[in-house]
Amino acid sequence: MNKKNLIINILTYAFLILFTLVALYPIINVFTISIRPGDKLLSTSLAIIPDNATFQNYIELFTNRPFLLWVGNSAFVSFVVTFTGVALASTAGYALSRFKFIGKHATMLGLLTTQMFPATMLLLPMYIMLIKLELLNSYLGIIIVYSATALPFCIWQMKGYYDTIPFSLEESARIDGCNKWQAFYMIIFPLAAPALVITALFSFMTAWSEYIVAAQVLQDTRLFTLPLGLKSFESNMSTEWGLYAAASLVVSIPVVLLFVILSKWLVSGLTLGSVKG
Amino acid sequence: MKKKFILSVSLLLSLLAFIGCGRKVDENEIVIWHNMRPEETRILQEQINEYTKSNPGTKVIQLFKETEEMRSGYIIAAIGGQGPELIYGPSDQIGPFVEMNIVKPLDEVFDEQFLSSFNPDALIKVDGRLWQLADKLGNHLMLVYNKDLVPVPPKTELELIEIGKELTIDKTGNGRPDQYGLVWNYTEPYFFIPFLTGFGGWVLDSLNQPSLNTPEMVRALKFIGELRDKHKIIPNEADYNVADALFKEGRAGMMINGDWSWSGYGNAGINYGISILPLITETGQYCKPMIAPKGFSINKNISEDKLKNVKGLLEYLFSPEKQLETALQAKTFPTRLELYNNPELLSDPILNNSKQQIENGIPLPIITEMRAIWDAMRPSYQAVLGGSITAEKAAEQMQKNAEIKIVELRESIENPLWGLIVQILMIVVVIVTLFFLRKSFVGFFRNLAKDSFAYILVLPAVIIMVAVIFYPFVYNIVLSFSNMSLAHIHDWSIIGFIQYAKVFSEPQFYEIFVKTIIWTVVNLFFHVTIGVTLALLLNKNLPGTPIFRTLLILPWAVPQYIVALTWRGMFNYEYGSINLILARYLSMSPIEWLKSPIEAFSAVIITNIWLGFPFMMIIALGALQSIPAELYEAADIDGAKWYHKLKNITIPLIKPVMIPAITLGVIWTFNNLNIVWLVSNAGEPSDKTHILVSYVYKAAFNLYRYGYAAAFSVVLFLILLAFGLTFLRKTKATESVY
Repeated sequence: MNKKNLIINILTYAFLILFTLVALYPIINVFTISIRPGDKLLSTSLAIIPDNATFQNYIELFTNRPFLLWVGNSAFVSFVVTFTGVALASTAGYALSRFKFIGKHATMLGLLTTQMFPATMLLLPMYIMLIKLELLNSYLGIIIVYSATALPFCIWQMKGYYDTIPFSLEESARIDGCNKWQAFYMIIFPLAAPALVITALFSFMTAWSEYIVAAQVLQDTRLFTLPLGLKSFESNMSTEWGLYAAASLVVSIPVVLLFVILSKWLVSGLTLGSVKG
Repeated sequence: MKKKFILSVSLLLSLLAFIGCGRKVDENEIVIWHNMRPEETRILQEQINEYTKSNPGTKVIQLFKETEEMRSGYIIAAIGGQGPELIYGPSDQIGPFVEMNIVKPLDEVFDEQFLSSFNPDALIKVDGRLWQLADKLGNHLMLVYNKDLVPVPPKTELELIEIGKELTIDKTGNGRPDQYGLVWNYTEPYFFIPFLTGFGGWVLDSLNQPSLNTPEMVRALKFIGELRDKHKIIPNEADYNVADALFKEGRAGMMINGDWSWSGYGNAGINYGISILPLITETGQYCKPMIAPKGFSINKNISEDKLKNVKGLLEYLFSPEKQLETALQAKTFPTRLELYNNPELLSDPILNNSKQQIENGIPLPIITEMRAIWDAMRPSYQAVLGGSITAEKAAEQMQKNAEIKIVELRESIENPLWGLIVQILMIVVVIVTLFFLRKSFVGFFRNLAKDSFAYILVLPAVIIMVAVIFYPFVYNIVLSFSNMSLAHIHDWSIIGFIQYAKVFSEPQFYEIFVKTIIWTVVNLFFHVTIGVTLALLLNKNLPGTPIFRTLLILPWAVPQYIVALTWRGMFNYEYGSINLILARYLSMSPIEWLKSPIEAFSAVIITNIWLGFPFMMIIALGALQSIPAELYEAADIDGAKWYHKLKNITIPLIKPVMIPAITLGVIWTFNNLNIVWLVSNAGEPSDKTHILVSYVYKAAFNLYRYGYAAAFSVVLFLILLAFGLTFLRKTKATESVY
């Protein structure tokens, strides 16, 4: 038995290591671009550390470019969207999972259908709408659009997770004297922590990396979010690849950090079984 | 608890309102959209700073946009009555802008005396009126050479072949050259124009109609084929970045590239020179590149007050002193005539060479049809360089496609009768829908009090969704019944089902539909299997799993744009790491990933699988947390094998969470434009790697067929809706499990 377990564990590690390498290799390439002198996107050499490697691009990024301003702007927008996403998706998902009411199926389906229309086609009318509402050049406009983009997935995700939590939990809570809101907020909400982590991460990513809508809505350079800033390293046929690569890697750090921080709740060792079993 | 929650939501909302109200329109603000390269942008910003210093109160903002995005973004903004005051770009964007009536005639703004001080090529006129004033002539291709390898640049094509042969060397002896005589970007026909003109051809006839199926075209296409197959002085596969990398590494003796690139070669440490493109001895003509004037146009929507400011700014930027300053620093060629004999300008070797090449070039045609002609040339030109069709066949296809695309570009459909019928139909549909829903409405209000808790929880999310999606959605449905196109950009009307008929009669529709299905199914299959497998392994909580978990989400965390392009580089035939790994460790022969349709499509799919599996992994990881360990313990006691546990415990219990993720995954993948666009470089080779959404983007948006594009996207929507309804009925995902 022990020997069998050992083999299984070795195979598990082998598989994980293989996929981690596959996942990392292209990103290591991006790192190589960022420390390669002369703004070359491609190279005919396979070396990970290129000749004359330099961290000049990273220094340039933080000293000569308004990179920290963009980080701040993006962080603000992303956190508001994350908060909105988690708040609205956790409540709406709960209602859709637990209650029967007229319009429930229509809502579920409606959420899904919003994702079905090719987004690029919606740009023109959305822009006209934002002009009429005087939301151009404001964060309110993009925050609402981003929240609406992130919500359908988040709500569905939350609903799916609530569905796996037994009804009996609220019932016993109600017997113990909780009202409907308390039963949700104090009993079920904490149990859905893994789904909340995914909702938060997804909302954050939606806002953190979005470019197309931001490019239409934000014209004032002081309001620029990170993807807009990154784009300014690019130009037709003469992109500052080194800077772009360096910035791309720095940009992904907050996402990874957020994930590391949140993953405590992703694997929080819930004790659902004690009720269900 | 409840109070705290409500308090934080209201705080958030007031914060949002505060941000939203902060910005007011500033009458003294001038916004410029441009597509300058970083060096030129820096100079522009310096000149703007000087200008605003001497003109306090005026604020000038310059914004870089990529050419295509600038063009489409400006059209959207200007039609919406907004947009930047000034738009700066190549002269060929003027054709459509004039037809859409979104730029202002400049002869109303500047007097004749001022305008007569410019090179006539800088005055971009359509129908006798001036629409754009150029400050730079350029974008011209020249022969760039590495002085260490090519001491004297070739004067004729024969010398070029001779030098090229000497320089194409296989140093490692592996049968593939490590250094080439000549490289250029194979993917854009813009780089082919000099060959065409060298053989005496041109893309338009005297009536501005496409003239692509000519003996000159065939000869020029054959010539580049010979460079590859007979003289073997150019690589098998090269897009812009590959060509650029080869030259920057000193592995190409000569390169055809434009004025935007030269300073980058100096920075990369190449001892480079530039020379005018060679003479074709057979015809006695020089290879003549296209010369694109670049300059400013004024937005039609500009107010009178702002116009004065804008005029002042332009006169400053156009002044001979500022033009000279820009020319000497950025090595671009000015447009004020008085600078043409300036000793400083003429003594600069690059500018002097540029001058010769510009005198030996042909102005870029500004007619709107050029867009259709480029689109028609691109796939056939790529197919010739890929070796899949003959020069004769390519020329024939180019001409045929150009004619079809011009008809599409110019399409102007009127059908008032069907328009009326459809309008009535729409009203009927709305009324009938409302009629059938009447019981639900009554029930809704009757149960409002009873179900109030559920409604309060759902409503905020629904309101946001409806606010953002409803108007654009309805707008698009209406547009899909309309004739909105270049001919009817402002005055479009409802014409009925004609656009839908066009979608379904499009011969490529069904082929691309099948590809889209394959694309979606293969992607989703691997996303889910890889994602769930990794999640199961990570969920065993062996030592070290947090590290793997973090590293494995990286493909999701890094911005897509650069990783997609990195993958494109990895698929390169000769230098890409994938082929090198295949050859070195698996002893396989290299695969021409990006040159043949099936391989290229596989390359796009592989990239997207890589990008997508972390997402499914995270979802599955979350879902696995909802399974109580006791269930597995009980199964162990019953002596269940691992596959029993997988089938009877794991899969049923993660299903409620995975089904929504898979459903949405299908929808997102089906409509995923970015990855196809970036990895296959917008459908290469020869538009064979499209899925429906990238196809409609390219075929319809490029030719300003907005009504058709809307109908196409409604069809995409209906396909997904049919899928969604069937899938959900089968899986019962809208029902609660309990």
